[in-house]
Amino acid sequence: MRAVLLVAAREFRQIVSTRGFWVMLLVVPAAFAVSIFASTFFAPQTTVAFTLVDASGRYGPIIERRLELDYQREVLRSLSTYVDRWKLASADPGAVWAQRDAWPGDAKVARFISGGGGTAALRRLQPRLPEGAPAFKPPPRPYVEVAPPAGIPTSQGPDAFGRALAVAMQGDVGTTAGKRPFALAVYVPKDFGAPGAVVRIWTNGRPNGPLIDTIREQLTAALRHEALQSAGLSTDAAGRIETLSAPILVTEPPPGAGRGVIVTRSIVPLALVYLLLIAAITTGQMLLQGVIEERSNKLLESVLACIRPADLMYGKLLGLGGVGLTVVAAWAACAVAAAFSASGMVSDLLRPSLVALDQPWMVAAMIFYFLSGYVVISMLFLAIGSLSDSMQDAQAYLMPVLLTFMIPVMLMLQAGLRSSDTLFIRVMSWIPLYTPFAMLARLGTGVSLQEMLGSGWLLIAFVTLELVLLGRVFRASLLTTGQSAKPGVFLKLMFQPAE
Amino acid sequence: MGASILILDKVAKRFGDFTAVDSLSFAVPEGGVFGFLGGNGAGKTTSLRMMLDIIRPSSGRIEILGGAPARENAAEIGFLPEERGLYRLMTVLDTIVYFARLKRMGAAAARKAASGLIERLGLGDKANAPVGKLSKGLAQKVQLATAMVNSPRLLLLDEPFSGLDPVNQGVLEDVIREMAQGGSTVVFSTHVMQHAERLCDRLLLLARGRKVFEGTQDEARASLPARLTLISRTDPSGLPGVISAASLGPEQDGWTRFEVALQPAADPGAVLEACTAQGFALRGFDIHRPALHEVFIHLVGADQEIVR
Repeated sequence: MRAVLLVAAREFRQIVSTRGFWVMLLVVPAAFAVSIFASTFFAPQTTVAFTLVDASGRYGPIIERRLELDYQREVLRSLSTYVDRWKLASADPGAVWAQRDAWPGDAKVARFISGGGGTAALRRLQPRLPEGAPAFKPPPRPYVEVAPPAGIPTSQGPDAFGRALAVAMQGDVGTTAGKRPFALAVYVPKDFGAPGAVVRIWTNGRPNGPLIDTIREQLTAALRHEALQSAGLSTDAAGRIETLSAPILVTEPPPGAGRGVIVTRSIVPLALVYLLLIAAITTGQMLLQGVIEERSNKLLESVLACIRPADLMYGKLLGLGGVGLTVVAAWAACAVAAAFSASGMVSDLLRPSLVALDQPWMVAAMIFYFLSGYVVISMLFLAIGSLSDSMQDAQAYLMPVLLTFMIPVMLMLQAGLRSSDTLFIRVMSWIPLYTPFAMLARLGTGVSLQEMLGSGWLLIAFVTLELVLLGRVFRASLLTTGQSAKPGVFLKLMFQPAE
Repeated sequence: MGASILILDKVAKRFGDFTAVDSLSFAVPEGGVFGFLGGNGAGKTTSLRMMLDIIRPSSGRIEILGGAPARENAAEIGFLPEERGLYRLMTVLDTIVYFARLKRMGAAAARKAASGLIERLGLGDKANAPVGKLSKGLAQKVQLATAMVNSPRLLLLDEPFSGLDPVNQGVLEDVIREMAQGGSTVVFSTHVMQHAERLCDRLLLLARGRKVFEGTQDEARASLPARLTLISRTDPSGLPGVISAASLGPEQDGWTRFEVALQPAADPGAVLEACTAQGFALRGFDIHRPALHEVFIHLVGADQEIVR
């Protein structure tokens, strides 16, 4: 064991003293931080501008009211989530924003608007904001109405209006929110409602389905209202019928329960699948380079005069395993620090995921699968290194090995993100090469104890067999140079008993 | 000379159909310098690897330091392989300390011994330099230090002079002598006979995996007939122990120079004594001792690749 630790310590020190190690250590957190920064500051603007010409003078206000109601609904939902996140409901328990509602109805939204909307709510909340809580940012308006550009005729009929707009709609237009794409123009004719009268809509080529749907629904509702009145109903009765809507109360599980918690619990294990793949392959390549260097430097004989080949092999696995764990620990520490010190969407996602790992067996299972996955991959790299005289030689094996892991693991990750209980991912759980990845991907959703124990024992048996067989390849190849790194040689050495 | 520190008894090593070492038996007494001589492919490196348990013999028995070959012996063995290399990124000091630790030395003792060797081998100003930045000669000194750092009872050197310039060859010869004087047993393989002649107390000659000779340098030379150059007035062919005498040409005043071949194991001193007793007039008497190179050629044939 002493020799194993000495070799491991040397391998560890050698790797961490290289520039490549520090680049690898820093590049993932840096890329993560840059992507958060970029998504925050360089996120594409989603707000578009539209113009509405209502020659009839009757329908414009209806459309504008609906768009405002829809936008304020989003503000209310977003504000309710914010209030819930920072536990601010006590500021005014009776307020509409103090009750989390997945889909607040028009009446509720109208109460929110009449109560002063977001501005009034924030005034109430401000004194109770805890330290470190970010300011509430209302969602951006999806649509901003602008007046028709100067020089566009609005009184010469829709054809003239449309022709004149063609050039203006190719670019941006100034709005209260800055320059925005001029996405849509609507022309409601004077005689709208009469047979043959058509509302004309022009777009800039990008579909704006939700806005067109809203316009159509509102105009249709208005036509129905008029039809009901024509049929003899009073204005009030027609209005009541037209605004009829089925009462729906959407109930969702409280925060920390339901399907959401499964997703929350899956985030860390799924992240570990990525980390395992990246760390094992990166450090595996270092392992490979190290063995090739020792072989090409002809220094193995000196080492093997002092220690057994098995000590060298286990020392390398341990040392490089230490490097991998250090990298993962550093990345995890950055994630935890970001989750608990920063604020924003990512930290809001990470924090409950980390808190959800409240069961010791889950942490133990994650460590077990991570380490066994690491050994499975590292041993392959070690054996390839011991058969290769140069990195060029090693390439013959590397590509198939990398593809053998990466393609199924990527498919598993995608399956895990959708639903980890698919037949594909359950089958992969029983193939020892993929068990660590598949089980990590499934951990958050809950796996039966029998399945965990069964596939776990199979994995342990496989790792043991791998250590024995690939250990033979390693030992037999250490002092042999110039042998062909063909699969046949690999298999022969694997099943050749030790001397 | 003490008891044997290394014994090989009918040791053979086969790689498939190829026999690298064939029924090799010899013993190395403790103390002194033992030469392991042979051309390329004679089986020297394979034998050394078997002594160190890097590879196992196909048959036969090896006893080293009183027991079977095992890594547990590493604390008392120093080994310099023929193919040399070091970790390029490690410093000189760390490299020597690392090998000392692999040989079961404690951290403090390893560092102390490494520092002492660094000074002794003239590497003091390079102690903290990465090995990859050293010249080949200096790197070889570092490798030698890794073999010597544990003050081994048995120092095994596989072709230690290969790749060294003449100055460093001299330094290494001095080191080997110092180690032997300090009580270590030095076994080194070489195909350069000059080093063996200058250093070895005892020799083993190998050819194609088989032993062809084991003994002292004198015993090796005795296996070849000694040659004399005589200047006399009469043909010395009749002297006792003489096989033949060839005239090399007349000298002044009726004297003639003769090349005389003696029977194997014949003592040139006995020939001189017989000349005196018989009144055989002599004006010159030169003894030509055969070089090890000649002995080697005589014993194993001229097709073996060796260097004079």
